Amino acid sequence: MSYQFKWSVLWSGQSGYWLLQGLITTLELSALAWLLAVALGILSGALRTVPFRPLRAAATFYVEFFRNVPLLVWMFFWYFGVPPLLPRGVQDWLFDHGAEFWAGMFALGVYHGARMSEVIRSGIQSIPRTQFEASVAMGLSVWQAYRLVILPIALRLIVPPITNESLNLLKNSSVALTISVAELTFQTRQIETYTARAIEALTAGTLIYLVLCVSIAWVMSSLERRYAIPGLIARVGGAG
Amino acid sequence: MLDPGVIVRNFKFLIVQGFLGIGSFAGGTLRLAIPAIVLGFALGIVVGLARLANAAWIRVPAVMYVELFRGVPLVMVIFWMWFVIPQLLRLPIPEYGVALTAFVIFEAAYFGEIVRAGVQSVPRGQVEAARALGLSGAKAMRYVVLPQALRNMVPSLVTQMIVLFKDTSLASIIGYVDLTKAAQIVNNREIRPFELYLFIAVVYWICTYSMSRMARRLERRPSTA
Amino acid sequence: MKRGFVVLQVLALLLSPLGPVFAQSQTLDKIKESGVLTIGTRTGSPPFAYINKNNEWVGFSIDLVELLVIPSISKEVGKPIKLTKKESTPPTRIPLLNSNSVDLIAGTMTDTPERRQSVDFSLTFFLTGAQFLVKKGSPIHGINDIAGKRIATQQGSTNAKIIREKVPNAQLREFPDQPAAFQALLQGQVDAYTNDGIQLYGLKAKAPNPTDWEVVGDFFSEEPYGMAMRKGDAKFKQTVDAGLKQGFESGKYFEIYDKWFGPKGELPYPMSPQVKAYLLKQIGK
Repeated sequence: MSYQFKWSVLWSGQSGYWLLQGLITTLELSALAWLLAVALGILSGALRTVPFRPLRAAATFYVEFFRNVPLLVWMFFWYFGVPPLLPRGVQDWLFDHGAEFWAGMFALGVYHGARMSEVIRSGIQSIPRTQFEASVAMGLSVWQAYRLVILPIALRLIVPPITNESLNLLKNSSVALTISVAELTFQTRQIETYTARAIEALTAGTLIYLVLCVSIAWVMSSLERRYAIPGLIARVGGAG
Repeated sequence: MLDPGVIVRNFKFLIVQGFLGIGSFAGGTLRLAIPAIVLGFALGIVVGLARLANAAWIRVPAVMYVELFRGVPLVMVIFWMWFVIPQLLRLPIPEYGVALTAFVIFEAAYFGEIVRAGVQSVPRGQVEAARALGLSGAKAMRYVVLPQALRNMVPSLVTQMIVLFKDTSLASIIGYVDLTKAAQIVNNREIRPFELYLFIAVVYWICTYSMSRMARRLERRPSTA
Repeated sequence: MKRGFVVLQVLALLLSPLGPVFAQSQTLDKIKESGVLTIGTRTGSPPFAYINKNNEWVGFSIDLVELLVIPSISKEVGKPIKLTKKESTPPTRIPLLNSNSVDLIAGTMTDTPERRQSVDFSLTFFLTGAQFLVKKGSPIHGINDIAGKRIATQQGSTNAKIIREKVPNAQLREFPDQPAAFQALLQGQVDAYTNDGIQLYGLKAKAPNPTDWEVVGDFFSEEPYGMAMRKGDAKFKQTVDAGLKQGFESGKYFEIYDKWFGPKGELPYPMSPQVKAYLLKQIGK
C-alpha cells in the first residue's frame, strides 16, 4: 500500500481559498502581535533603566516571567483563564469580536515582547561606553552623540537579532491553532480533514511558511549588507 | 471564586505523570526535555561544523538543513513526524518517538547556528598558531578551537536550551501527556483554567529561571584555560 | 480508462471466490507479530471514551473493543492480544490510521459515505444525531435559530460541515477537540455547542452544574458510529465485524450498553426500539 499522491486536492474545492484565508490570518495575527511586542519590548527595556525601583522590578518581573513560560500555556491562559475574570459586558464584547484572535494576538505579543526586551537590551549594552565618551569629547552634544553615533550603530546591531526574533514570532503564531484561530496551520489541517490527504496539505503549508520566512530573511540581510559599517562586524548573539 | 484546591487534589497527577512522566500514560516533560536537549545539541555540533566545512558537498546540505528548519514552525515539523514519516516508512512511531525526533531535528538547526557562531568567534590566529605548532586540523579543532568556542557559546546555548524546554509543551498536541497535557486533562473535568494554567506556568518558570541563573553563574566563572 | 476499470472489476469478480482463501491482512499480520492492537480514541468524550476522576482511560467504545473486538482478533491470530490506546481527534484520526500509528479508530466517529472513500467502517455500534447544547433559557431551540450566532464545533466533525453548508452565516468556532469547545460554551464564549446528542448529554452530566444546561433541537443529521480502519483490509474488517456481531447475538453488547447507558450507568439513556431494530438489522435480524 504505497502512497498515491493527489496534489489536485490543493486547488480543487475550497482548499486554495482556505490556504489564502489562513495566510491572511497568520499575517494579521503576526503583524499586530509584532507591534505589541516591539512596543512592550521598548517600554520594558526603558523601564529597566529608570532610577525608580518598583518600576524596574515590575519590568524585570514581566521580562523574566513571560519569556520563561511556554507560549502554548500563555495561549490557554489568555483564552480560557482570563476572560471569565473580566466584567460580563467586556466578555460579551470580546466573544462577539473574535475573542480567540485577540487572545492569540495578546499571548503572542506579550510573550515575544519579553523576548524583544532582552534582544534590545543586549544590543544596546554591546555598544561600548567609550563610543559615547569619544563623541562627547569630540564636541558633540549629548543629543547629537545619540543621533549621529549611538543610534546608527545600535540600529545596525539590533536589526539582525530583531529580524530573527520577528521570524520566530511569525512561526510561533502557528501555536494559535490550539485555541481555534483559523491561521495557516489550522487551515492546513482543515484541508487534511476534509480530503484525508495529509502529505499534500502539510507540504503546501510548509512551503508557504518557508517562502515567507526565507524571503523576509533575504530582504533583511540584503538591507543589512547595504547599510553595514565597514570594519564593524560585531554581532549580537540572539538565537531561538 | 478561585479554587486553589484543584491544584492540591490533582498535584500528584500533574507532577508525577505530567512533569516526570511516571504513570500509565506515555508522557513526562522532563523525560522528553532532557534527551531532546542532549541529542539536539549533539546533532547541532555536527550540523554547525558541517556548515563550516571547506568541501561544498558537506557544507551545502548543512546550510539547506539549517535554512529549512529555521524557516518552518515547530508545530509543522511535529505534524510531519506524526503523520507523514510513519506513512512513508510504513512504521508506527510512538508519541514519545515522534516528539523526541521532531524536537531533536528541529532544534539541531538552531544549535548548529550557535556552534557555528561560537567557532567563528575564535580568532583565526589561534588556529594558525595551533597548526604552526604541528597540530593536525582535527586536533586543532578539538584541543584549541572547540574549548574556546564552547565558552563563548554558553549564553546563547542556555537560551536555546530554555527555548527547547518550553517547546516541549507542544508535544501535548499529539496526545503526549506532558505537564501541559496533564493540566488540560484535569481542566477538562474540573474547568478551572485560571488556576491550572497559572500553576503550570509557575512550574515551567521555576525550571527555566533556574537554568538561566545557572548560566549566569557559569558566565561569571573565570576561564580555566 | 473506463474500459480498464471494467476489466479490473471483471477480474475482481472472477477472483473473488478465491479471495478469502488467499486473503492477506497486513493489519492482522502486524497485530499478530506485535501482540498489540493499537486504537485511536478520545480523551474527553464521556461516556464513549474519556479520562475519569481516577485518571483511567475508559468508556463505552473502549469496552466494546476490549470485550468484543479483542477476543475476535485473538481468536483469528491465535494468541492473546493486548490493547494500547492513543489519543485521536476528528482532525487527526484519518491521518493516524493512514500513517499506521493506530489500527482502529474506536471513539465517536460517524460513518459517512464521504469518509468511506478513505477508510473502511465496521458495523454501526451506536446511532445518534446532531443537536445543540445551550445554557438554559437560551433563544436557540434548533438549527433554525443559529443564524448569526456563535456556534462551537469540533474541527473536522460532520456537524461542522453540515452547519457550514446549511447555515453559512452562523459564526462557526472550530476547536481541535471536544473539551476546548465545551469549555468555550461553559464560559459563554459561544452561544451553543453542536455535536451528537448523546455526547452532549454526556458532557452535560459531567458539567459543574448540570441543571444549568440543556440539549435542544431535533436531530439535524443522522450519525451512525462505526469503528474505522485502513481501507481495503477486508480480512481485518471481517474480524472486527465478527466481534461486534457476536456481541449483538449473544447479548453481550447490550450488557455493555447497560453498564454505561442503563438506569445505573454513567449516563442513563434507554435505547429506543427503533435504534435497537436498526442495530440488529445489520446482522440480519
